[in-house]
Amino acid sequence: MKHSVNRPPTPDAAEDQGKEPPLQEIINVKLIESGEKERLMELLRERLIDCGWKDEMKALCRAHVKKKGRNNVTVDDLVHLITPKGRASVPDSVKAELLQRIRTFLMSAAL
Amino acid sequence: MSSKINGHVSPQPCPHLLVFRSRNGPKPFRALQDCIRVKPPGGRAAIRREPTEVPRCGTCEESSRSRLYACVACAAVFCHAPLLHSHASDHSLSIPGHEIAVDVDRAELFCCACGDQVYDRDFDAAVVLAQTVNATATTSTSGSTAMQCSVAGSQPENLRKRRRVDYRPWEPDSGEHISRGNQSIPLLDAANASLVSSTQQPWGLRGLNNLGNTCFMNSILQALLHTPPLRNYFLGDRHNRYYCQQKNGAINGTKNSRLCLACDMDALFSAVFSGDRTPYSPAKFLYSWWQHAANLASYEQQDAHEFFISMLEGIHEKVEKDKRKSQSPAGSGDCCIAHRVFSGILRSDVMCMVCGFTSTTYDPCVDISLDLEPNQGGSGKSSSAKSLNSFNVEADCMRPNQNCGISTLKGCLERFTRAEKLGSDQKLFCQKCQVRQESLKQMSIRKLPLVSCFHVKRFEHSSIRKMSRKVDRYLQFPFSLDMAPYLSSSILRSRFGNRIFPFDGDEQDASNDLSTEFELFAVVTHSGRLDAGHYVTYLRLSNQWYKCDDAWITQVNESIVRAAQGYMMFYVQKVLYYKESENQGTS
Repeated sequence: MKHSVNRPPTPDAAEDQGKEPPLQEIINVKLIESGEKERLMELLRERLIDCGWKDEMKALCRAHVKKKGRNNVTVDDLVHLITPKGRASVPDSVKAELLQRIRTFLMSAAL
Repeated sequence: MSSKINGHVSPQPCPHLLVFRSRNGPKPFRALQDCIRVKPPGGRAAIRREPTEVPRCGTCEESSRSRLYACVACAAVFCHAPLLHSHASDHSLSIPGHEIAVDVDRAELFCCACGDQVYDRDFDAAVVLAQTVNATATTSTSGSTAMQCSVAGSQPENLRKRRRVDYRPWEPDSGEHISRGNQSIPLLDAANASLVSSTQQPWGLRGLNNLGNTCFMNSILQALLHTPPLRNYFLGDRHNRYYCQQKNGAINGTKNSRLCLACDMDALFSAVFSGDRTPYSPAKFLYSWWQHAANLASYEQQDAHEFFISMLEGIHEKVEKDKRKSQSPAGSGDCCIAHRVFSGILRSDVMCMVCGFTSTTYDPCVDISLDLEPNQGGSGKSSSAKSLNSFNVEADCMRPNQNCGISTLKGCLERFTRAEKLGSDQKLFCQKCQVRQESLKQMSIRKLPLVSCFHVKRFEHSSIRKMSRKVDRYLQFPFSLDMAPYLSSSILRSRFGNRIFPFDGDEQDASNDLSTEFELFAVVTHSGRLDAGHYVTYLRLSNQWYKCDDAWITQVNESIVRAAQGYMMFYVQKVLYYKESENQGTS
């Protein structure tokens, strides 16, 4: 259902239409509230720096900016540029580690 | 599109930001200030209305979007994913004046209409204040005044104006007239002009005889003889050995003449720049230095770097004795020529991993000693014992941007300024926690010296195994070096993210006056084993390279220098380095 953008957010809207928040949402909220998301983000940042992923993305961005000119590039351009490449080049070991952490968290948080 | 303040590029605001600022009074981001939440350790700043708020897009209700922006005008939060849908853009288009938003997880301003990050000085100041005020205190060593970060309200344009002195052309006084008449040798004799210009070698190139394993001294002396500010100081008669000895009661060169290494340097400069090309024996200098560094007085080979440090100390000591009160703060270089030329200031930040409290100290230094990178590439992980200090050992092998595992000077500097997790056996005392905690340490350069000397730690002494060994690994070094990425301002900027730094003006004026670009002018190399080796210096004069091997001076191709095994590299500020033209005789 498309919400009209001029209407201020109505928290009751989801309940009115009988929509359950998706599982991803529930998990995300639990991660944030417990502070685990913060920890996972820090861990992910560290891992992505260690394996050179951050440097690779930086280099891609630099090359793009050099080509287009410093004043002709926006943040959105850069996000658009590196998102597919970035997602694809995350090492499997990093993915596995984070998934394991999330799994462990969910098991401990399951009521 | 951007203006420079204090040498740093400051981005111009977009039209939407300008309109927003003009419409919303003097402090348009005031409301956001209370929403800045900083989480230690790491000190990332986020925007939350309540500390426990879970931000969620007002349109699609999703909190798991990767980019969420809060509209600065109405505080509504929206997601922004230009490829799929951007409810933030929808919002900005629907209500004029609502284009400016703030990234809730990064505390960075964004213009939804331009699709780009924008910067506001006051907002960035507030964020940095929040990140530093609770977690940082500064202490300093060596009795210098405590350095405070003054953030809010400081005007970076308000630089201290220097007192100007009117120019007066120099005239020699009576004493100088006399000494000039007696001791001077014409540099360009009318009769010998053709002779001088035809000798291809530049001024000041003279071999130094080896007096018995003294190549360690000769190599450093050659580098110092051609260190531009030092050369100018002595050739400009700023330390006159006759006046100095007179003042110190040394008459007729008696055995009781007071030790002054600066006087001996002055004599050395006079001899080397005299135009005489026959090799010179710096015996007097060696003798004086032996008296100063009695523990090193022998005919055994010494470490060139140790000699360098001891020499600078020797010059400093003598001057210190003369001054009644040494009022100059450490690192300012006002005490003596040695420090004026070589002294810089290093900044060390130590952050407690538990509470985020950061303690900052400033220490003067006359050179930077660099570790060679541990094993890379082919040789595998045999030196993992080093991983205590460098948790990136394995990662170094995997980094995509390392060319075939060649160590570079820049790589060493990057490692030097990298944030380093100190091992659990190196816990440092945290003032806030009042107990030893694991810490994160990061070095950076607060103030650059006129001449940067880099010392490569090639000699490993292990007291445990009672042996020493030499590391022969090749280190690539550039002829031109920009030190900007290693300055404290750059390191801090990378720690805090994309911000305008309002307190740039607080950073020492000197680092803004002089540029960060350096030129290589001397390389001291070591070949052979730890106990039986030889030092040779390569000098760059008039854009030619000369090899100074004790008494033998030869011109060499720059490729020889590039391939040499650098032990100490001397770089001078580019503004002080003269790339002379080929013809010297013309004037």
